[in-house]
Amino acid sequence: MRRFTIYILALAMLASVSCDRWLDVKPYDKISQDELLSTEDGFIKLLNGIYIELNSDMLYGGALSVEMIEIMGGAYVIGTDNSVWGNYSDLAGYEYGTEYWRARMNETWNKAYSLILNCNLLLENLETTGVEFSGDNYKIIKGEALALRAMLHFDMLRLFGPVYSRYPDQLSIPYYKQYSVTPNELLPAFEVASAITHDLLEARILLAGDPVRTSGTMMDAPSDGSSTFMYYRNMRLNYYAVTSLLARSALYFGDREKAYDYSVEVIRDAEKVFPFVDKTLVTGSPEDPDRIFSSEVIFALTHSQRSSIFKDYFDPSRIPNYVFRMDNDLMSGIVFGGGAMTGGNQDDYRYRVNWVATGANRYFYKYSDMNDTGNIRNTMIPMIRLGEMYLIAAESRSEDIGAGLAYVNRLRSARGVGNLQTLTEELLQYEYIRELYGEGQLFFMYKRMFAPVLFSTVDSRNPQPSDAIFTVPLPDSETEN
Amino acid sequence: MFILVALVSASMAWGQEEVAVLKGKVIDSADGYPLIGVSVVVEGTKYGAVTDVDGNYELRIPQRKCEVTFSYVGYDDEVKLYTMKNQSAFAKVVMYMNAEQLADVVVTGVYERKKESFTGASATFRTDELKSVGTSNVLQSLKTLDPSFKMMESTQFGSNPNMMPDIEIRGKTSVAGLKEEYGTDPNQPLFILDGFETTLETIMNLNMNRVASVTVLKDAASTAIYGSKASNGVVVIETKAPARGRLQLSYKGDFGLSMADLSDYNLMNAREKLEFETLAGVYKDNIGDPFAQIRLDNLRNERLKEIERGVDTYWLSEPIRPGFTHKHNIYAEGGEDKIRYGIGLSYGNVAGVMKDSDRRTLEGNVDLIYRTGKFQFSNKLSINWLDVTNPTVSFAEYAYANPYYRKYNEDGGIDRYLYYPEEGVDDYPVANPLWNAHLNNWDTASGFGFTNNFIFEWFITEELRLRAKFGITKQDDDEQTRISPLHTQFDDMGETEKGLYTHTQIKELVYEGDAAVTFGKVFARKHTVNAVGGFNFSSTSRRIYGYSANGFTDDRFDAPSFANGYPSGDSPDYSESLKRAASFYINGGYVYDERYLLDFNYRLDGASMFGTGNRFRNTWSVGTGWNIHKEPFMRDGKFFSLLKLRGSVGNPGNQNFSAYQAFSTYKFNGWMTNVFGTGVILNALGNTELAWQETVNYDVGADMTFWGERINMTLDYYWKYTDPLLAVITTPGSMGVTSIAMNAGSQKTRGWEATFKISPVYRPSEGINWNISFNATSSQSEYAGIGNSFSALNENGRASLVGTTRYYDGGSPTAIWAVRSAGIDPATGKELFIKKDGTCSFTYDVNDEVVVGDTQPKVEGVFGTMLYFKGLSVGCYFRYRWGGQVFNSSLFQKVENIGTQEVYNNQDRRALYDRWSENNREAYFKGISLVQKTEKSSRFVMDDNALTGESFNIGYEFPDRIVRRMRLGAMNLQLTMTDVFRATSVRVERGIDYPFARTVTMSLGITF
Repeated sequence: MRRFTIYILALAMLASVSCDRWLDVKPYDKISQDELLSTEDGFIKLLNGIYIELNSDMLYGGALSVEMIEIMGGAYVIGTDNSVWGNYSDLAGYEYGTEYWRARMNETWNKAYSLILNCNLLLENLETTGVEFSGDNYKIIKGEALALRAMLHFDMLRLFGPVYSRYPDQLSIPYYKQYSVTPNELLPAFEVASAITHDLLEARILLAGDPVRTSGTMMDAPSDGSSTFMYYRNMRLNYYAVTSLLARSALYFGDREKAYDYSVEVIRDAEKVFPFVDKTLVTGSPEDPDRIFSSEVIFALTHSQRSSIFKDYFDPSRIPNYVFRMDNDLMSGIVFGGGAMTGGNQDDYRYRVNWVATGANRYFYKYSDMNDTGNIRNTMIPMIRLGEMYLIAAESRSEDIGAGLAYVNRLRSARGVGNLQTLTEELLQYEYIRELYGEGQLFFMYKRMFAPVLFSTVDSRNPQPSDAIFTVPLPDSETEN
Repeated sequence: MFILVALVSASMAWGQEEVAVLKGKVIDSADGYPLIGVSVVVEGTKYGAVTDVDGNYELRIPQRKCEVTFSYVGYDDEVKLYTMKNQSAFAKVVMYMNAEQLADVVVTGVYERKKESFTGASATFRTDELKSVGTSNVLQSLKTLDPSFKMMESTQFGSNPNMMPDIEIRGKTSVAGLKEEYGTDPNQPLFILDGFETTLETIMNLNMNRVASVTVLKDAASTAIYGSKASNGVVVIETKAPARGRLQLSYKGDFGLSMADLSDYNLMNAREKLEFETLAGVYKDNIGDPFAQIRLDNLRNERLKEIERGVDTYWLSEPIRPGFTHKHNIYAEGGEDKIRYGIGLSYGNVAGVMKDSDRRTLEGNVDLIYRTGKFQFSNKLSINWLDVTNPTVSFAEYAYANPYYRKYNEDGGIDRYLYYPEEGVDDYPVANPLWNAHLNNWDTASGFGFTNNFIFEWFITEELRLRAKFGITKQDDDEQTRISPLHTQFDDMGETEKGLYTHTQIKELVYEGDAAVTFGKVFARKHTVNAVGGFNFSSTSRRIYGYSANGFTDDRFDAPSFANGYPSGDSPDYSESLKRAASFYINGGYVYDERYLLDFNYRLDGASMFGTGNRFRNTWSVGTGWNIHKEPFMRDGKFFSLLKLRGSVGNPGNQNFSAYQAFSTYKFNGWMTNVFGTGVILNALGNTELAWQETVNYDVGADMTFWGERINMTLDYYWKYTDPLLAVITTPGSMGVTSIAMNAGSQKTRGWEATFKISPVYRPSEGINWNISFNATSSQSEYAGIGNSFSALNENGRASLVGTTRYYDGGSPTAIWAVRSAGIDPATGKELFIKKDGTCSFTYDVNDEVVVGDTQPKVEGVFGTMLYFKGLSVGCYFRYRWGGQVFNSSLFQKVENIGTQEVYNNQDRRALYDRWSENNREAYFKGISLVQKTEKSSRFVMDDNALTGESFNIGYEFPDRIVRRMRLGAMNLQLTMTDVFRATSVRVERGIDYPFARTVTMSLGITF
């Protein structure tokens, strides 16, 4: 009897030990987290998955690069005929409350935060994993993930947060530093700002060994099938991209001196890493120019069907459907015309290369493919470019905006146009439009400067700055759940 | 026969008395086989013995006159007087089985306990009780007999034999909406068949003639042994074990006829429909174009002419048929003491009341029991085959067809369209349901599987027994549907895309193992101790494969090989789930002097679907009872043969949830790769902290039998707290996911149940018995602590057409939420709403929604009567429900809210009458309008009281002399009618996609 009890007990103990492992079931029709993140390759795949998803048309494959955000930034002429322009006329009037735009904003918000969640899952597993990473990969992966998290939060703050220069204390958005199954509180804008800066700074330290600093962008990846992880550095949030984000965010948060330091640091090293586009590529081959000035792009997404952006929004053959283009008067009177008063000039490479006439209008060709199909340049969606660093440096050189004139003129000379004699906020804005048109930055510039949005040359048609137009209400899904 | 109940007393001798040894054998009256484990006790002494494997006993007995009692579960006690000289009378003792007592054992599937000494709330029904109220399946009968067991009536699917019902014991414990999310019903009870967990479908397919008994376990004391699977209650089904004796063959057959019950349909006739359309303005051009008006006038006149010619088509008769059902069961059994065998074959063909609606099952089973010395091996193998067909055109499409159309054209052929608009007319064509039904479409499923359950038992000592079980079930199902290319749904598609074939395969493998030690002993004649301890593990894996193909060109040639390709953008379906669980359990029972009872259970469960942070969970329960009738002060009375009070508390859990909700899973970004190769992205966010849903369950009850066993009563009051609830809740978008499985809030339920059975005439010796039975149940639930977690569900409910369920703290899960209505304003014809503050308004505001009713009736149950006269039995059972409300969706959708599209469907007759107009201002319904939207208001909430003739039956057991003349062992005949009538206080269309049925069944049982 006693012996029998012992047998039973021994059996029970044996069973309980093996039990836990037996209950650890891994799904086969999906990739389980434990399985995915048990190798270095898994982390690399997840990180790449996040970069790929940035190309979603809810984010930088549309809404936050060429479409929604540029309409809000006054870049395009939007007609009033609903059968052609659909819901765009509402957006051009800043009617964020319509069902369509509430849904669209919600979609963008959800997508951005779902990628933030992916970053957080990656970062958290990076902390606990036992995987051995080769070389500097651990730091690179962690740095890029932190920077991605900061960048997405920054853009959500710029879109849904208050006008920072006016209300830094106002509640804005939540900042997710870790994976959580309970929702985080909305934070005052300045707290979000400090979290963004904190993440970017940490990323910058981790990326100090980024090969981009020594070997450049490395566009010549091996074609033998071996890993391309450490190549194409301008397609990742590299050391300079993070530094540029620091410059961009410091300026937005009103930290002029930091903005200047970071932008100048990028400008200093850019000479060898991100050189100004070769004049011959732009003017020497007028049939097939490098329209996005690819060598100057500090960070770009790589979108395998980028041609659809041109086809869906800018291609003049879309007519009678809507086509996005600049107001004719704005173009001829200010952006690429107007002489010394505006700095606009038709010799500007940016005009010669990217604006092609069809009928009475000129259309925007920045996103049209180069003839050389399969060229990686045809996949690039520019996220940060060198020109912006010059403009940031100019703006943050001193309290007096005029002091930055030299930086603007250095940029202008690389664009084949003559110097400005003075620099004012308006002249700087015009330069931003020339440089960053169709890249999703204009709305944030007006919001930052709390300035009227330039839709046209007629002041009365340019919306005056207000919180109502600059602050998009938080999506329904955020406020109701 | 081998029900082992350890009422054992050891023989000890310590008196100074002179003792002798008495030897003998105990046998069964029925077949003369020895009975094992019979307790033999010398009254008034400490002497006692137990029979061994061969039925032999050796009893030490004092040398004086004394009484010896032989007792054995399921048998009448045998008391013999020992006179010191009549040793021969003890050599062979015959015991008689007591059928009534057999039901007094509670079978939990893990252990058995005498009902008298069990503290849980449970009910056991024998096969003849189940068969006397219905013959379709075990569960259908159970709902008539036990008030706590509910089979939800499906207004959508009616009496479709291929639709599995939703089943509840003592109400819901989970938030609605999970079933949609996960496919498994989180409120479904656990089903145990012969000691192994099984599926609802297996129970529904099980031929009733194989069943020996069904036990419903309701409270924590009885269910806690199943731990984290038990919070919805447990249904334990035991199939018959082969009986000893020479080979015996029995046949049981059921022959049924079902007719559709269309009495709930109240559709317009041709003339009414045309009048309704005219009033609704169908024949009036809305911009007043004279040419269009001429066309409409012509159209109306044409239809009117048809009506004058006598066209008034009754479409509902078209898809239905009398359904002839037949089921057969042949069972051969026999063997001697060491080895017994049973071989059975069952066939069933259930024909539903809609054409092409069939369910055919074939099941073979082999039962073997082998016993040698202290070991017993038993094995039950069953192999099943299933073949199912479903109608391809739903009943609703016939209900929509207008009565002024003819079914057939002049040539007697079937037209593709009942109405096809002329060229250039912007109008919808009306498809002919007969056209789509006459095509070569099919919707079939077939399945094949087997279950093998092996049990090994070792009777180590008289008190101690070891039992090990292993069961394996493999089930493969195959579903195929085909829609002919000529079907009207493909009208707008290219020729190469018409027709659709889908194929889904489901492969399932389940295994379960269990090892347990059972102990039972009576110490010092007053202390009865029972204990069970064991270990259980189970695994369920399920894989689903599927694909579809299109591009068929011919109606008749339907092989999938004639497909042109796959639907564009379609990819093959594949999904897989694996659930594993492992548990330890202990059950103990202590009875003092048959009077004071104490039970406890403990179970430790681990399950793979719960997060690593919460993988294991404890279940416990404690139950106590007091057998008042055994108290000295009651023993003399003899009035009460049973009077027991009992109470229990415990915390069974629920794990009817999806396999991988605790895991984060990833998928490839299928839509794009880049220069860095592939990428992966989060697919579903798991919640590793997800806690098991747990229900703390309290129950107090009383069991009574008195007045010479003429009155039986069981009363139970219970209250349950489910905390935390598990639900899929919507989250702020910033969490990165829009919904997540989470623990949120709690639910409280209170309820009572009562069962009475009175026998005004009770003469068992003459075979005459008349009894009246009545049962009732009532329960109420409310949510607590859910806050805003379900705001999205509330939002969806508000936005949906007829959704009236809301989730608020303090609200009932069954409450009907709508804005109160003061009726139709006679002056304007508009609906007047009552706002939250009591003021009236013509403007509808969802924020004025309040509780306007509850679908849960105040009380419901079944009452009935049964008369036995010699071999004849007559019974009838009625179901009643009182005090509930219903949102009348027929009125809401088929009287008002008929829009420009719906007006082309046939509608409820009430849409034409009692409508507001200038001439009829005191109307209940708004004026006829195709554009006016009616909102959900209390105007459509109605009292839902009902009385149903659930089951009428008449049976006859042929007397021995006739049976012998026919050279048979036994023979009986029974006629059962189910759902005979239905009287309700509200008229709602039921059976939308499939009508309800009324059934008459004749059952025949013959033993050769």
